This record gives sequence, structure tokens and C-alpha cells, in this order.
Amino acid sequence: MKYVGEPVTRVDALEKATGRAVFGNDVALAGMLHGAVLRSPYPHARLVEIDTSLAEQAPGVRAVVAGRHFPFTFGASIQDQPFLAIDRVRFAGEPVAAVAADTELQAQQALDLITVSYDELPAVLDARAALAADAPLVHPDLHTYRRGGHEIVPHSNINAVAGFAHGDVEGGLREADLVFEDEFFAHALSHSALETHCAIARYEPADHGYTLWTSTDRPFQMRRELAAALGLSGRQVRVIVGYVGGSFGGKSTLIAEAPAVALARRVPGRPVRVEFSREEDLAASRVRMPAFVKLTTGVMRDGTLTARRAEFLWEGGAYASNAVGIAVRGPKAAFGPYRLPNIEYRSRMVYTNRQPSGSYRGYGTTQAAWACESQMDMIARRLGIDPLTLRLRNGLRDGDPWINGQIMRGINARETIELVAAEIGWGTVDRAPAAHLRRGQGIATMIKETATPTSSNVVVKVEEDGEVVVLCAAPEIGAGQVTVLRQMAADAIGVPLTAVSLPPTDTATSPFNGPVASSRTTYHVGNALHLAGQEIRRRVRALAGDLLAVDPDLIDLEDGVIVQQGTGPRLTLGELLHASGPEGHSLVAEARYTSAGSALLKADPGGEWVSTIFWMIASQAAEIEVDTETGTIRVLKVAAAADVGRPVNPVACRQQIEGGVVMGVSNTLYEELIPAGGRIGNANLADYKLATAQDVPEIIPLIVESDHPEAPFGAKGIGEPAAAATAPAIANALCDAIGVRITDLPITPAKVLAALAEKGREEPRRG
Amino acid sequence: MMRVTLSVNGHRHEVDVEPNLTLLEYVRERLHLTGTKEGCGVGECGTCLVLVDGHPVNSCLLLAADADGRVIETIEGLSVGEEPGPVQAAFVEAGAVQCGYCTPAMVVAAEGLLRADPDPGPAEIAGAVAPVLCRCGSYPRVQAALRIAAAGRKQP
Repeated sequence: MKYVGEPVTRVDALEKATGRAVFGNDVALAGMLHGAVLRSPYPHARLVEIDTSLAEQAPGVRAVVAGRHFPFTFGASIQDQPFLAIDRVRFAGEPVAAVAADTELQAQQALDLITVSYDELPAVLDARAALAADAPLVHPDLHTYRRGGHEIVPHSNINAVAGFAHGDVEGGLREADLVFEDEFFAHALSHSALETHCAIARYEPADHGYTLWTSTDRPFQMRRELAAALGLSGRQVRVIVGYVGGSFGGKSTLIAEAPAVALARRVPGRPVRVEFSREEDLAASRVRMPAFVKLTTGVMRDGTLTARRAEFLWEGGAYASNAVGIAVRGPKAAFGPYRLPNIEYRSRMVYTNRQPSGSYRGYGTTQAAWACESQMDMIARRLGIDPLTLRLRNGLRDGDPWINGQIMRGINARETIELVAAEIGWGTVDRAPAAHLRRGQGIATMIKETATPTSSNVVVKVEEDGEVVVLCAAPEIGAGQVTVLRQMAADAIGVPLTAVSLPPTDTATSPFNGPVASSRTTYHVGNALHLAGQEIRRRVRALAGDLLAVDPDLIDLEDGVIVQQGTGPRLTLGELLHASGPEGHSLVAEARYTSAGSALLKADPGGEWVSTIFWMIASQAAEIEVDTETGTIRVLKVAAAADVGRPVNPVACRQQIEGGVVMGVSNTLYEELIPAGGRIGNANLADYKLATAQDVPEIIPLIVESDHPEAPFGAKGIGEPAAAATAPAIANALCDAIGVRITDLPITPAKVLAALAEKGREEPRRG
Repeated sequence: MMRVTLSVNGHRHEVDVEPNLTLLEYVRERLHLTGTKEGCGVGECGTCLVLVDGHPVNSCLLLAADADGRVIETIEGLSVGEEPGPVQAAFVEAGAVQCGYCTPAMVVAAEGLLRADPDPGPAEIAGAVAPVLCRCGSYPRVQAALRIAAAGRKQP
């Protein structure tokens, strides 16, 4: 290995630092029109009438479209979402009409000329209300919608039901010395990538299809979602992706693409661009799915866990988006990286009249870890056991069975926990640096699977001069995908890193790939590259053997040079290809990797669907300072360790770990979407507060290794676990500092003060 | 329309602009310098920073007409010909670039600080980049890049 494992400078860094990188919203095409979207002000209403006639006459307007002109629905899990509202609106901000004009200003001004009459309906604004027997139904016809095979409750707001059990939870709880029953709430979060949602769509009359220029983390899945909605083949939908200005799971389903496509259909051959304002991005795109979590855990007096039941109620918003998978799989993380012989989870997702919930870095695991790791500390405190000791005592080890009996290979939970505890100086903290300041430490860990099975195809083109173009649909969304894939391609094939390029994704020419999500890219595309590399090498050996009249088994390809064992370098790859085809040459190999069928996925009967091809484990230890007069928390230091298998690029891994902590601190302490009736009251970046450079603790990123038998170059993944353990680590540190337990996010100064006041009232009673 | 003279990255442009055209729109849409990005359009995220007479300014909050006669530098102007400028190179070296969307603004903020204060301390550095939001969480490395760039400036 020459490049894998090295801290190679990111190949996109220079382009981005000099302002030359082209993002989706930098694309300008000839004849491009600008779109604007009219949105419902009501969370739930019948759409009685829309009159677009005045808007159609407005200056510069080329197309106006309402739901009745484009009556299609889409949805990644349930086909429930109209491109534009047809007879009902189901969340404040839902698109009801759109305008395409020569300029963005003309399009926005034309919106004011559209008149809409609504008949307001009672709205259901939170998950518990959605469950009430007399709750208004957000989708009365849910049972008629096309969907995957998951369970729903017809004639209710429950659009996903899932669960899994292993062992004997009731028995485990009975045998326990103590049973803990605790409830937690994890709030909605906006992805808030700095690049807002933006898409350009063009209807291609010759093909009756569409071309989309957009920022997405999953070009093929977006293609499929659009094609399925419109009754098209995948080939008829072409998705082109440049650099993505951050996704974090938010750019995964049709969002800006929907109104862009509806408008594009009206102006065949002309591109239509729809760019979301920051307000639309915050209030009318997607959010992390809020979750009410109840954990019932049995534990022996020495801290050994015996059983856990996890009950989840997920607040899905008005449309299911790609959130069903969260309800089905997210709860697995509620059992932590712990040995738990008896487990059960029950999960329900409901429609509400709010902005749709969808994938958000972690896909349910941040919500599950919030509950799991908060309760672990509650257990530790009650039993008088050090929280670090409690976690180590129950920690899963390589070779242990997981919740479904799958044998865990390639995990290193223990070292992540021990390392962060050591780096934070566990147990040594200056508790009262001033009269009104208290400090504490908290530790948290988490485990995440990857979606299984998924697959990746790659095509490797060796050009006639020996340089390599890799075709794979893996957009650079910011984590260094392109760099890491180039490193792996260079080593898999045997060419210099500088001789490899990965062009931007285009579904017309790239082969299929699963999403750049679920922390799966390094592992799955890496394995496909490994296979393709082997095939290239085999053919190069055969060609060289022919040309040089040498046994192919004596030939190696090293860094672009054909080397004969015992003799040394003979010629370059370019010279070989030229010699074997002077009229012109490409050597093309393709490979597909899928995790389906791996022996590693074997599990107890009935539990195979739960299996995952690899786990990632990440731990964080935080030291915080609380001001007891204001309730303000300052995070001083966070040590964060991730078990990545083997790092392909250590700097990129550290970027992810550090970035995950920053996002975690921000999510936990500062971010809250404030409801104002049925709308969002703070849909702007002054009032939806993201952490700035002045809010960042000292961060110590730590890479931990493990031995996964099927990982390419030993590498697993890192993107999601990086962000997960921060919230419980901070809550645990808060409890350590001032003895209060906050169970619902975010942790605000008001909640801290209220908890302190409550504690003050309780304490005199204890005498 | 108003006739103004805008100096952008060393080039003079005598142009007619609408009174409500922002400097951000002018730079991106009229000059096709798309290195400067939009994050919110209302001055709350810092993504659109450019240097105006050497000072970092949210270009979404400045009307093109009000930039008449001022010296404007965008991220593209901070390169040295086809090579990266020293601050840009420092960002690459420090691993301060992830998705890259905030990077032009961060570079502009850094450049603005170093022109005003060639030897900034940690508080000055954090304060200079605080107005630019980064969701990827590259703040620690951006600050490291600033330290590298400052150190580089000190050398003869």
C-alpha cells in the first residue's frame, strides 16, 4: 500500500480554497429560468381554489404550475408526497404553486399574484397528539399508497411499525436486582448545510425524460425516486452532481428538485433553477426525526446489564420521506455497544402536520444514543459505580454476539472508551473554579451499523497513456470521499495517485452506487475498487506477458510501472498499452461489490434482517463548565475516538471526528426549531443558532483500529458515529457537575436553571 | 439604473446597476465570479464575505451601487496568478477544507485579519472567523490555517 493510510492532502482542497470549485448552485445554463415556490401558510388545510391567471401574465414569467397541472406523488419509503399540493396541504411551507421566470425577482413577484383559498383543518402538531383516537388524519388514504413492505396501521397516523426481540426480556427484567424505566426526548434539527437546497431541472422532449443538476448524496436513489413518481425508466432521468456543499443526510430525497421538475415540464428544453432561501431550507425541507424514547433496563447490583426494552415513538412530519428506515433500524443503537442477552425494541412512526422528517447524520442513532447513554449514567449513579467502569464492564468485544446473534468481527469498543477517558483526564477535574461555576466530566459511547445489504459498482478506465479514470457515483459531499476513493483506486490498481481521477457523477455514464450515506462509501466502493483493480492487474499481466514473452505470474504493476520479478522495471503502463494498441487503447474493467450473501451476516433464525456488514463504535468524553447563575454551559474539552477499522486518510478521519464534535455541541446546546403555532418561528440563522468558531471546545480526535476480515484495506467507515455521543456526554458531564439530569434536548440554560431550582427544592427535604 | 465604477480584483468595471442589486449578486451573476457563495442572503451566516477596502464585509448586505469607488477583492483575487495565495495555501496545508462551501469566506476573513493585525493571538483569530458559519465543523483547522498563514507572513 503506497497511498492508503497516508495523510494525503485532499484532492479537492486547492480548488475549494481558491474559489474554483463548482457547486450545484454555481451552475448556469443557457436559457435557464428561475423558479420560485408559493407555500402554504397553514399546517393543515383543504386547498379549495388556486387562481394563477394573473401570475401567468406577469413580466418575465414563462411558466406557472399548480398541483392540478402536475398531479404526481413521490416518496422514498411511501409514495405520499405531491410535487405540488393537489387538494390538501399538510404542513406550513408545503409547495402549492411555482413560477418560472427570466429572473428570480420576477418569479418571486409573480407569486404575489397567485390567489389561493384554503379551508383550514385541525392540525396534529406532535407525535403524542397524532396517536389520539380522535386525532385528525394527515393521510386518510395511507392504506392505498404505494410503499415498501413495512407495516402500517391503516386509518391512523401510524405510517410505520417495526420491532425486534431476542432472548427473554421479561425474564431478564425479573432476574435483575434493579429495573430502570426512563423516558427521553430528542428534538428536531435542521441539517443547515451552508449550501441551501438547489436544483436545476430540464425536461428533454426527445426522450420524454429529465436532466437534473443538483446537490445530492445519492444520485441513483434520487433517479429512482423521480422515475418511479413519473412512470419513467431510470435511463430517462439523468442526475448530474458536482461538489455538494454539505449534506448531513439532508440532500437525499426530492426537495428543490420537485418544483423544478414540475416547472421544467411546462417549458420543454429549458432548464429551470429552484434555489431555496435559508428560510425555506430551515422550515420547508427536512429535519432530524424527533423521538420519544422509553428504556426499561434490568441490571444486577454489580452493574451487569440483563435486559433492555426500548420503545420509540417517532414524529415523522407530513410526509414519510426516507424516514421509515429510521423507525425500522434506528432503535438498534439503543442497546449500545453492550452485552445484552435479552432485548426488545418496539418502534412506531406517525404523521404530523409538520415539516417532513428524514435522514440526518446517524439515521436515528443519535436519538437512540441520547437515551441509551443518558440512562447508563443514571444507572451508574444509582448503583454507585463509576460510569466508565460500568461501560467497560458491559462492553462488547470482538467475537461476541450482537442483538440478533450475529457474531461481531472487527470491533474495538473498549479502546475507544479507555482512550477518551485517559485523554480527558477522567476523574481529575477542578470542580469549583469560582463561586458560580461548576465543572464536570461525562462519557458516552455509541454503536452504529451500516445499511445492509447495499452494493456499489465501479468502472475503471485505464487510458492509453496509463492514466486512470474511475467512474463511480460517489459525490464529494465534504467528507473527503473523492480523495479516499482515489487513494484506494491507486493502490488497488497499482498506479500513482496523481494519475487517477474521479469525474463528477453523471448517472448516464456512472454505474450504479448506493448512497453516500450510512457511512458506507469507503467500505463498499473501496471493495468494488479492490475487485476492479484485481481485474486490471490480471489483464495487465497478460498483456505484459505477451509483449515481453514472460510468464504473467512474474509481472507486477507498481505505481504505473510494469515490474518483472527478478529483473526489475521493464516499461510503464502507458508504454505497454501503446505497444499493444498503437492505434489507440483503453483498458476497461468493471466490478460490483455487495455485502449480500457474506458469511459474516449469519445470525439466529429470524434475525438475519438485523445483520450488518460492519459496525462502527465511537466514544466521547467531555469536560464542561456550568454557570449556576445563568445556566450557561461551556464545553471546555472533548476527547473523541472512533473505531474506523483502518484509516485510509488519517487527516480526513480527524476532520470527521472534529467536525462531528462541533456539530454535536451545536445540536445539543444551541439548536432548536421553535414552533409558532403550526409554523417555525425562527427560520433564520440569527435565531436558529449554529455553533461558531467561538463556541468550540478543545477537541482531541483519536483514531482507533480494529480488524475487519472483509474491509478493503481494513477500512470501515466514520461519517456518522463522529456526531453521536456528544449530547449524552454533555448531559452526563452536567450531571457530574451539578447533579441534575436533563432528559430532553436541547440542553438550554433555562432547563438547567429550572433543574437546579427543582433540585434546590428537593434538597431541604432530604435533611 | 445607476452608473458606478467598481474595482474588483484589480479590474475596473464601469457599469450600470439596478439600485437594488447587491454586491454579491453583481459578483456572482454579472462577473461570473462564483467563488463567493450565498448562505442566507441576509447577513446572518458570513458565507458571502468579500474584502472591501481591505475589510471583510457581507457582500449580501452591500448594494453594488454603494460599492462605487471602493476596492473589492473576492476569493479569486486572493490567488497569485494561477497559484494559490499564501492564505489559501495555508488552508490546504492545515486540512481546513471539508465541503468547501464556507472556505472562500473563511479565507477572506483570514486575509482581512492578517492585513489589519499580522500577529494575531488566539482570541483575535477566533473573533475573525466567528462571523462565518461552518457546518462541517472545520473551525479548529481554520484557526490552525490562520496561525500558519500568520507565521508565514513573519518570515522575510
